[in-house]
Amino acid sequence: MVLEVKNVQYSYKSQKEKEISKNVSMQFEEKKFYTIVGASGAGKTTFLSLLAGLDLPVRGTILYDGEDIQKKGLNYHRKHHVSLVFQNYNLIDYLTTEENVRLGGTKKPQDLLEKVNIPCEDWKRNVLQLSGGQQQRVAIARALASNAKVLLADEPTGNLDENTAGEIIELLKRTAHELGKCVIVVTHSKYLAAQADEIIMIKDGCIESVTELSD
Amino acid sequence: MNSFQMAWRSVIRKPVKSILLFFVVFMISLFFLSGMASRNASIATQNKTKQAVGAGFLIEANEANKRNRADEILAKKTEGEEGNFDGVNVEKIETNYGTSWRVSYDNSFQTVLINDMEKIAAVSGISEYNITTAVTAVNPVDFSRIEDDDVDQSSDLLCVSLIGNKDMALDANVLSGNVTIKDGRMITEEDANVCVISEELAEKNNLSVGNRIQFNDRRNVENGTVFGAEIVGIYRVQQKMTPVMAGDTYRSENIIFTDLGFPEKAEGSTSGALYEKAYFKVADVNQYDEIKKEIQKVDIGWERYDLIDNNRNIDKMSKNFNDLENVSQILVIVVARASLIILFLVFVFWMKGRVQEIGILLALGTPKIKIFGQILLEASMIAAAALFLSFAAAPATSDITADYLVQQQVQKATEQSVLEEGKVAKNAVDSEETVTGVSVAVTPELMLYDWFGVALLVVISVGAAGILIARKNPKDIFSEIS
Repeated sequence: MVLEVKNVQYSYKSQKEKEISKNVSMQFEEKKFYTIVGASGAGKTTFLSLLAGLDLPVRGTILYDGEDIQKKGLNYHRKHHVSLVFQNYNLIDYLTTEENVRLGGTKKPQDLLEKVNIPCEDWKRNVLQLSGGQQQRVAIARALASNAKVLLADEPTGNLDENTAGEIIELLKRTAHELGKCVIVVTHSKYLAAQADEIIMIKDGCIESVTELSD
Repeated sequence: MNSFQMAWRSVIRKPVKSILLFFVVFMISLFFLSGMASRNASIATQNKTKQAVGAGFLIEANEANKRNRADEILAKKTEGEEGNFDGVNVEKIETNYGTSWRVSYDNSFQTVLINDMEKIAAVSGISEYNITTAVTAVNPVDFSRIEDDDVDQSSDLLCVSLIGNKDMALDANVLSGNVTIKDGRMITEEDANVCVISEELAEKNNLSVGNRIQFNDRRNVENGTVFGAEIVGIYRVQQKMTPVMAGDTYRSENIIFTDLGFPEKAEGSTSGALYEKAYFKVADVNQYDEIKKEIQKVDIGWERYDLIDNNRNIDKMSKNFNDLENVSQILVIVVARASLIILFLVFVFWMKGRVQEIGILLALGTPKIKIFGQILLEASMIAAAALFLSFAAAPATSDITADYLVQQQVQKATEQSVLEEGKVAKNAVDSEETVTGVSVAVTPELMLYDWFGVALLVVISVGAAGILIARKNPKDIFSEIS
């Protein structure tokens, strides 16, 4: 397994008595596409943030390739172990499409942009001039630019229409199955959730169920 | 992509925020440079003034003594008698209202005596001296004077004014820097029948150096002997010279500097020259008090004169220029404090506008210190451009600032002079009013100070604004965005 969560607990610093994640344990493997589902406020995004090293759990450990992510530091974890895709794309507004992808890592941006179907005439344009779907594909290309084994996505299709969302889901699936990455996606979309290899249901900060879907 | 590449792209591709910071830094730097340049200029002027104007003594005729001497002479004459009594003219005037008596003085009665002045000039420590005549109205024979078309000339003397000097370079108007030579030269002791005219008069009459102009007695315009003087110089003024009386005769442009002996000839005087004052320049300003004591020991009729000690003047001028220095100092301090607040607010505004970018970079594993470095680099690039432009603009703005501050000080001095009118040392205080400007220089040293000052302000402001962001973790930032 590439990523392992062991007895993780999390609460906000201002509300220590209210636990957002309660004693969560879970293992994630490469070449698999996971979706995390649950009601709003269940703790899905917090769980993803902990996996991404955006914050630290109050208790418990998160291991990457068997090593605590705090050992090398959260910056290192974010730079080398995981890559992130957000609902609102989070691209840098004064950079071009190509430059945004280059920020993600050392891989050739042109190859990645081709892979995510961004026409070459858009590579030198300011990234904000692209459509929402294209921007999300650029965000995925940026995530693929690094050699990280884990791709984490928070509601990646939340701002997209049905057709574009379908294309993004396909892209994420290919990332897991063809590129061999571990893809973990937080979503509200039942359709997207149903595309996963495993669906993790979170309720009140706990993993209620893990459902493995067969092809 | 490294921090420099990111910073450069941000500066170029987000022009509004760049221009805002550029403008703020440009203004801060200009104010800094102007304040520092004015402060330095004030010190330089103070020292220069001490040497050039302050280090001297002025001798003038004592008015009270003149009246006492006249009273003594008149007391000896028979009542109702007319005539000239040892230089005091008594004239009987019959009017419709009855008989009145007019008393006037010959030049010989009221002049500063040249022999006495030569004795003072011989005192050790006096390097040079000058004698200046009273302003003498004479008739212009072969040239036209400058007139104001809006002024009724019927009550004017229709003359020009002559000021004779032994050494024109020591005339009060020249010493103060108000009168400078545009063409030709000044008048020296060896000159005779020469003059220096204003550029306005030269232009109006198409006169130049080498030409001669003629004058005669204003009271005998038709038959008075005509005297010619060669123009050896043309002067210009920074501020119009204050006329001694009303009328175009005494207006600044119609004042003609001549050699010492010329005015009495041109006015057709029968009672000699009227020397109004003498100026003695002290070689070493540090020996001023010792030289003063030596002068007071000179055997002349001191009751006839006022010895005007310029020490008071020096102190007063120093005070005024120290005030100027203080004002400049305050300007620099106020600019520094205001700049810190303004820059801090600008960078807080910057950081707020870049929270998402900072969050993205953190999510990509960029360390906070590198993000802070990028923002500092951007600020440095913009600040450097603003500093270079401010260095180019600083000489002009520094001049304006310094002139403004000097004008404020001169105005203060003038108001003070009005308050002190009638006091013995009034004439000494007057010279403060002749300070019309200062020369300021924006030196490489000032630029270096400015550079360090602005750089320090930028680093402190970026640091203070950055702390607001540095305290947050990436999750908080993303929560804020969403």
